[in-house]
Amino acid sequence: MDHILSILIFFPAVAGILGFVVDKSSAKAYGVSVAAVELILALGLWASFDNSNAGMQFTEFTPIISQFGISYNVGVDGISLFIVIMAALITLLGIILLRDDTKNMKNMIVSLLFLEMTMVGVFLSLDAIIFYMFWELSLVPMLYIIGAWGGPDRVYAAVKFFLYTFAGSLVMLVGLLAMAYLFHVQSGVWSFNLLDWYTLKLTTDEQFWLFLAFFAGFAIKVPMFPFHTWLPWAHGQAPTIGSVILAAVLLKMGTYGFVRFSLPILPDASVTFTPFIMGLSLVMVVYTAMVAFAQKDMKQVIAYSSVSHMGIIMIGVFAMNAEGLSGSIFLMLSHGIVSGALFMLVGVIYERTGTKMMDEFGGLAAVMPVYATVFGVMLMASVGLPLTIGFVGEFLVLLGFYKVSVIGTIIAGSTIIIGSVYMLALFKKSFLGPVRHEKNLGLKDLDGRELTALLPLVAIVVWLGIYPKPVLGPIDNSVKALLVQMENHAEQDSTKDAIIVSKKEVK
Amino acid sequence: MESLVYIALFAPFVGSLFAGLFFARSPKTHLVGIVASGLLAVSFIASATLAIHVANYGPVHVTMMDWISAGDLSIPFGFVVDQISVTMMVVVTLVSTIVHIYSTGYMNHDKGYNRFFAYLSAFVFAMMILVMSDNFAGLFIGWEGVGVCSWLLIGFWYHKEDKTFEENPSISPSWAANEAFIMNRIADLGMLVGIFLIYWNIGSLQYDVVFAAMPNLADGILVAIAIALFIGAMGKSAQFPLHTWLTDAMEGPTPVSALIHAATMVTAGVFLIIRANPLYSLDAVAGVSMFIAALGAFVAFYAASMALNARDIKRIVALSTLSQLGYMFAAAGLGAYWIALFHLAAHAFFKALLFLGAGNVMHAMDDELDIFKMGGMKKVMMGSYIYMGIASFALAGLPIMAGFYSKDAIIETAFNDGSFIIWGILVITAGMTAFYSFRQVFFTFHGEERYKALGFHPHDMYKYVLVAMAPLAILAISVGWFMKDFQAFITSNSAIMPDYVMSDATHHIAWALGLLVIVVAVTGIIIAYKKYAGKGANAWKRDEEFEASFIYKLVENQYYVPKFYDDFIVQPYTIASKKFWEIDKAVVDGSVDLIGKMFYKSGDVSRGMQTGSLSAYLNWMGIGAMLLIVAAAITAFIG
Repeated sequence: MDHILSILIFFPAVAGILGFVVDKSSAKAYGVSVAAVELILALGLWASFDNSNAGMQFTEFTPIISQFGISYNVGVDGISLFIVIMAALITLLGIILLRDDTKNMKNMIVSLLFLEMTMVGVFLSLDAIIFYMFWELSLVPMLYIIGAWGGPDRVYAAVKFFLYTFAGSLVMLVGLLAMAYLFHVQSGVWSFNLLDWYTLKLTTDEQFWLFLAFFAGFAIKVPMFPFHTWLPWAHGQAPTIGSVILAAVLLKMGTYGFVRFSLPILPDASVTFTPFIMGLSLVMVVYTAMVAFAQKDMKQVIAYSSVSHMGIIMIGVFAMNAEGLSGSIFLMLSHGIVSGALFMLVGVIYERTGTKMMDEFGGLAAVMPVYATVFGVMLMASVGLPLTIGFVGEFLVLLGFYKVSVIGTIIAGSTIIIGSVYMLALFKKSFLGPVRHEKNLGLKDLDGRELTALLPLVAIVVWLGIYPKPVLGPIDNSVKALLVQMENHAEQDSTKDAIIVSKKEVK
Repeated sequence: MESLVYIALFAPFVGSLFAGLFFARSPKTHLVGIVASGLLAVSFIASATLAIHVANYGPVHVTMMDWISAGDLSIPFGFVVDQISVTMMVVVTLVSTIVHIYSTGYMNHDKGYNRFFAYLSAFVFAMMILVMSDNFAGLFIGWEGVGVCSWLLIGFWYHKEDKTFEENPSISPSWAANEAFIMNRIADLGMLVGIFLIYWNIGSLQYDVVFAAMPNLADGILVAIAIALFIGAMGKSAQFPLHTWLTDAMEGPTPVSALIHAATMVTAGVFLIIRANPLYSLDAVAGVSMFIAALGAFVAFYAASMALNARDIKRIVALSTLSQLGYMFAAAGLGAYWIALFHLAAHAFFKALLFLGAGNVMHAMDDELDIFKMGGMKKVMMGSYIYMGIASFALAGLPIMAGFYSKDAIIETAFNDGSFIIWGILVITAGMTAFYSFRQVFFTFHGEERYKALGFHPHDMYKYVLVAMAPLAILAISVGWFMKDFQAFITSNSAIMPDYVMSDATHHIAWALGLLVIVVAVTGIIIAYKKYAGKGANAWKRDEEFEASFIYKLVENQYYVPKFYDDFIVQPYTIASKKFWEIDKAVVDGSVDLIGKMFYKSGDVSRGMQTGSLSAYLNWMGIGAMLLIVAAAITAFIG
């Protein structure tokens, strides 16, 4: 398994380049095969992953510019492992779901394969420059997917998506450069190696400003309130595949950034900023859930619900205990699966009717029972029903965050109420009641292609809802290591107090 | 014994999967109903066997596998079969089996027949998890599971259209289903907070660990846990102010109302309090327990008052369920947990019977619910008449019937406890209960045959369905005779269930207390008989004047609580949501666009300088140079 991580990162890209010479008619089959191989590789990585090792595994290190400490440095731990697998899975299923008559299919496949490279790259990078490179490169294919296959306002939405996130990333880049500079000041050598940075002791003041710089990049990506408005636009205009990958994987880059950079490098600032993050996150949870309820467009409901759920993930990241942080990372996965599936489902009905307006539907459950059932399962996972994947993460996050703030937990916990309000309203308007339009009576239920894309997700929703251990175990392991690292690394005693690796050792 | 635990638990699940996976898309298949009912019977037999085992050898505890572990938290799928849970298991599976058999007849003509059994069996599975779990998180699985099944089953006839509140107070099945789900979720948040409190203060969610550690906790924390868990219980058991969903839940098929919204799910809240009796009987939370009892008594009265003039046959029964839940909470709040559990069981039998009887009436009347349109139906529906009569006698608490023992014990408990206000309310409510129960019976089965003029041709239910209901009738009559045995069984381990015995003083006047309740109840029945059972000249006539009175309107409109919720919660929430959306577009997104536009505009303006004319550039250069000189001069001056 030497170089498996590099293979994982670059195989889709190489295949993407080769994809240019593939015949148009077999472009989709080619895409499916490549994505399937990638997924098998990712699962192979999991199979050979050592669950008892909380640190980085399969690391590869090749200096690129040694004077500045820039190197090609990749590794995987329990935190990134499953996000990578999810990215591979969602890409595969998304490609399967592509309609055969998609225009410029070849370009679409190539874009998606490049996108896959950047996504996998972001989550595996251990060097800040490499990380930043993949981070920014991920914008390009997505810009293209929205801009070329999107709705009527696609150019506006694509440009907004690009400029907004790019602006935030530039501030983040300044932060990354400053980190390297501070490292140089302290140690006399340059390094962009993340693991080196973890050892760096920074003053409270330095941490404060660096946190803000990182925050600009990550928060816009998440997207945190009030930086979220690019997302409804992007989702509104993006084709189904774009929305699926955006919601399932790209947003996770933001929360992952907080976990990989902000927490371990800047533990004191992370604790200092917790009330601030909590404030924004709670607004995110409640406010966007309410906005979701006001929507008339089914896809916008899911888009805003994504923001609301990302708020829960954010408070989990800043819970500073293993329960909350593990739950948060699990929730990243479950949100990826569930929101990905929901966007696919919206795509299904949009392809059939040409509309996403809930007023146009009604009574779909009678016409398309299988579709309604799959939607129902995802709805229940979305509202966090126990024994679905959605519950595990949400429960752990709220449980963990309870230690930080009781009131905050109750406000965030209102997600189980207002989350079901907008989801059930959506379901009632679209699926229940009488069939409002004659033309909807003839709608066809899910076909083989759609079932192939959706049923694996249903299976995962149930499987990880009942038995999350295979995934939660390695996550929890690495999370505990991260918290220990944070605790050891913290400057102030108040920070050490806030971080709880295990209650047993506190008492 | 371990395998019996799994058989009892998973048999309904197998039935649900059988119906859901293999027959979801096929037309009505009787096999589905038969298999589902059969598996329920298997579950019942396993539960009953376990009950005998528990009585002889004590509790059975099994751990299936790990569920969630993160940080220090470790939650297994563990199940405990002790006196409390086995009682619930027997009651749940017995009533479920009968309701399943009943449904094969009742749902015979419904095209969602197979789907119905998939949901109904899934519900039983969730309910079994709820009662059998050995920890709070497992309880929560069942808690939410029954909620979803309830949502699916209330909204079973999802194709029906929304009506206005005036036409149908429940709007539509899908609306009622959503209301039930959301209202329960409000309470579930309380429950989750309770779970978090337990976890962070005790470090485990296992019942045995938690209850053992309870006495060591600070009073404030205990009170907080007790309140949080009770909020959870209030939602499931539809206690005021989270009660409105229960009457609306009557939009579901009647077997669902009988099983879920009368016999089993709605008692989950009471079950939780009973299960957590080591917490609620602590001195530190005496205030909370007293509140539970007081709220229970209030709900008993409040719901009964709404049943007095209700016209919808199912709503009357639903309100009586609500009222009886109040009784159960009163008992539990006063520390008589085993009496609460006994009433829970007895109530499950006679209320299920009552609902199924009401279902027969509806079936005969083409889903007509208005008792004003019925009357004199005993001629055509003798079997159902007898059943509903028995159930109503049991509910009213007439001697030898189930309610006579179980409900009377609660009333006596209130007296024994010295809570005379609660006692008074419960006695009065007993009279009201007798009145509205028999009002319904007389309206339906006695008096003028009003349905004839309306063109109905009622006929009684299938014979085999009536036969299947017989066990419920027998239990509704006889279950009270075994109260002493039940007490001995349930309180055999005081760590699980403390005993509650009346003081000697109460014991001495128990006969008088009992007699008082009987007199009150019989008075209620007699009034109902006089008013509603007459024929010809004595026949009941509508009293328009009374129906127009304020008090009648107030009660008829459920004290305007649904309207209050609509005006002060639903509407403001909808409006606020829309406003937020506008703000999101105009302000939040607007300011982003503004920044973008600013760059664009500044570029647009400065483009004007690029004219391509050399002299213009020279001018700009001059201006620039001057500005630099000025700036330099100012810095020099300041410096």
